[in-house]
Amino acid sequence: MREEAHDPEVLLQHYLEDSLTEAEASALLELLQRDPSLSARLMDQLHLDAMLRSEGASPMQQTAPVSLSDETRILSPVTSKKTRWLPMTTVAALAACVTLAGTWLFNLTNDAEETTSAVAVLMRGVDAQWEGRAPQVGTPLTPGMLRLKSGLAQIEFYQGARVTLEGPASFELISVSEARCTSGKLSAHVPPQAKGFRIQTPKGTVVDLGTDFGLDMNSPEAQVHVFKGEVELHPDGAKMQPLKEGEAALFSDTVQRREADQSAFASLGDMDERTAESQRVSFEQWLQSSTQWDADPALLLRLNFQDPSHTRVLRNHALKAEKVPAGSIVGCQWTEGRWAGKRALEFRNISDRVRLSIPGDHEALTLSTWVRIHGLDRAYNSLFMVEGYKDGAVHWQITRTGELRLGIAGRNGHGSKDHDTPAIFTPERFGQWLHLATCLDPVANEVRHYVNGELMARVPRNAKFPVHMPVAELGNWNDGRRGGSVAIRHLSGVMDEFMLFNRVLSEAEIAKLAH
Amino acid sequence: MTSHETRAAQIFLSHHDFVKGVALKYAPWPGLMEDISQQVFLEFIRKEDRWELEKDLRPLLATMTRHVAMRLWRERTREKPEVVQKLAEHIRQLAEEQDVQPRYETEVVILRDCLQKLPEKSRELVQLYYYHDVGTPEIAGQMEMKADTVCRALSRVRDKLRECIQRQIQKGGDAAYA
Repeated sequence: MREEAHDPEVLLQHYLEDSLTEAEASALLELLQRDPSLSARLMDQLHLDAMLRSEGASPMQQTAPVSLSDETRILSPVTSKKTRWLPMTTVAALAACVTLAGTWLFNLTNDAEETTSAVAVLMRGVDAQWEGRAPQVGTPLTPGMLRLKSGLAQIEFYQGARVTLEGPASFELISVSEARCTSGKLSAHVPPQAKGFRIQTPKGTVVDLGTDFGLDMNSPEAQVHVFKGEVELHPDGAKMQPLKEGEAALFSDTVQRREADQSAFASLGDMDERTAESQRVSFEQWLQSSTQWDADPALLLRLNFQDPSHTRVLRNHALKAEKVPAGSIVGCQWTEGRWAGKRALEFRNISDRVRLSIPGDHEALTLSTWVRIHGLDRAYNSLFMVEGYKDGAVHWQITRTGELRLGIAGRNGHGSKDHDTPAIFTPERFGQWLHLATCLDPVANEVRHYVNGELMARVPRNAKFPVHMPVAELGNWNDGRRGGSVAIRHLSGVMDEFMLFNRVLSEAEIAKLAH
Repeated sequence: MTSHETRAAQIFLSHHDFVKGVALKYAPWPGLMEDISQQVFLEFIRKEDRWELEKDLRPLLATMTRHVAMRLWRERTREKPEVVQKLAEHIRQLAEEQDVQPRYETEVVILRDCLQKLPEKSRELVQLYYYHDVGTPEIAGQMEMKADTVCRALSRVRDKLRECIQRQIQKGGDAAYA
C-alpha cells in the first residue's frame, strides 16, 4: 500500500489519476481552500491532462521512440485509470459507417462495456454479390438495407429466425424480430423462440407463428407459401387472414389462396449443397495458386496448415528456402479452417504457439496470414513475434485496443518503433476470417498494413536497418530468457495460413492472397 | 446512411475540440471529457434530422454538452466517498467561476508544437504515461525512482507545457491556427 501524500504536486497527480485516498482528498481540499494559486494550478493541470490524454490516444501522434524497452511495457500491465479512446480524427471514414458509430466509433477500453446495435448475423453466402460494400460471412448486421444482386445469403436474426435470401433482393433489417422485403425471394425458418417474427412488404405484413414459409416479391403480387406451421397475413387496409401449412396466397388487393410450392424457393438443403460446392471451388483455387506462391524466390516461409495431426510440425512449403525449417507446434489443437477440409490451428491457451526459425537479416518483408480472431484478451495479441525484442526483432501483433501493429526493435543505435493502424479490430470483426498483410518497404522506408487486401495504414519508419527473426513464434511470444515470468501475449483465435517473404508484395499480389 | 447523417458527423468532427472545451468547463473531473464528447456525439447524431446544419451549431452543441457534462459529472462523483465529493464540487465551482471562454480548442493545437520542444527526458515521460499508458508506479519501478518523484515530474512537465502554450498565445501563435 502506498503512503499518504502531502506534497501538493503529488496530490495533483493523484487527483488526475483519480486515485486520491480519502485523507489525500481532504488534504487537497484544504490546500485548495487556503491557496488560490494552487486552485489555478490545478485547473491548468486538469486542462493539460485532458489534452494530453486526447493526444495520447492517437498512435499516429507519436513523435519519438521511448527508450524503455518493450518488455518494460509488458511487465507494466495496462491497468492505468486513463480511459483510452479512438481519436475522432482517425475515423475520417466515419461517413462510411456512421450508423455503427454508436457501437464502435469510440472504442472504450476501460470502465464502459462495449455495445452493439447489430440485430442479425450473415451466416453464409453462396456466390453472393452485393450492391455497395459486401458484408463478410460472420458479420453482425445492424438495422439497414441489404441489396443482394445475385446469389444466396443466409441471415440469422438474433431472436432466432433464419432467412435465406435469393438475389436480386432488397431486404431491410429493422430489429431482431422484424424485416422488410421489397423485392426478391426469401424463405424463412422461424423456431418457436422467434414466434412473432414479422416481414413487412409493400402489400402488407407477414407475421410468423413458428413455421417455415417462403415469400416471393418478384411478381406484382406478393406470394406467401407456408411449408410448415402457420402464418398470419395482414394485408394493408384489410382483415388479417391465417394461412396454414401447404397453403399459398397471392398477397395483393385481395388474398387469393392456392397450393404452396416449396420447390420454388431455395431450401436449406440447396444452401448446404451450394455452400459445399462454393467452398470446394475456393479450396481448389487456393490449392492451385499455392503451388505458384511456393516457387516464389523471395518466399521464406509458407505454412499451409494441411499437415497430419500426429507430426506436430508445420512443413515449410517455400521451395527456395531450404534453410528455413518446419515450424514446431506447441500446445495448439487442430480445427477447421476457411473451408470444409481446410485445416487450421487454434490458439487458445497461454502455452499455444508454433516455434519458428528464420535465419538472416532482411531489408524488406511481407507478412501474410489468414486468421479468425476470437477476441483481444491481452494487451498485445501475437500473430508473429520474434523472441525477445532487440536488434531489429519484429513483433507483428494486434493490440488490445484493436490496432494492427508491426513493432520493430531498435538496432545500430536507432530506436524501436511501433507502426500501427488505427483501431480496426472491433467486436464486429471477431469470428470472421480475415486476411492480414504487412509490408516493410525499404524503398519508401515505411510499413504498410492491409486487411482483406485493402490498405489500412502506411507508417513511416524512423530509420533504415535490416530486421531479423532468428527465433520467432506464431500466436505467442517468449522473452528469450531462460527463466522468470514472461508476459502473456498469446493469440485468441485460429490461423490457417502464414506466409513470409523477404520482398515487398505489390497491392495486386496482396489482393490475390486475400481472395 | 443518408448524406444528412454524413454531413452531421462531419460537422461534429469539426467542432469536436470545441465540445471538449465545454465539457471540461462543466465537468472538471479527470478522464470525463472524452466520455462526455462521446455522449454528445451520439445524441447529436441520433437527432440529426432535427438540426439545420447550415446554421452555426456551436450554441446547440454548447447546450447539449453542458447538459451531458453535468449529468455525467453527477454520475461519476456521487459514488465517491463524501470528502471526495466535496473536493469534486469545490473544483467544479472553481471551473465555473473561471469567467473565460473554453480554451481547449485553441490550446490543443499549440500543445502539439510545445510537445516537440520538451527536453528529451520530459517527452519520454509524457510518452510513457500518456501514449503508452504506463502508470506512475510502473514508471517509477523502471526508472528506479520513487513514485512521488514521477508524480512531481509529471506535474512539472505539465507546468512547462502550460508556460509554453501561454508564450505562444502571447506571441500570437494561436492566430496561425484560427
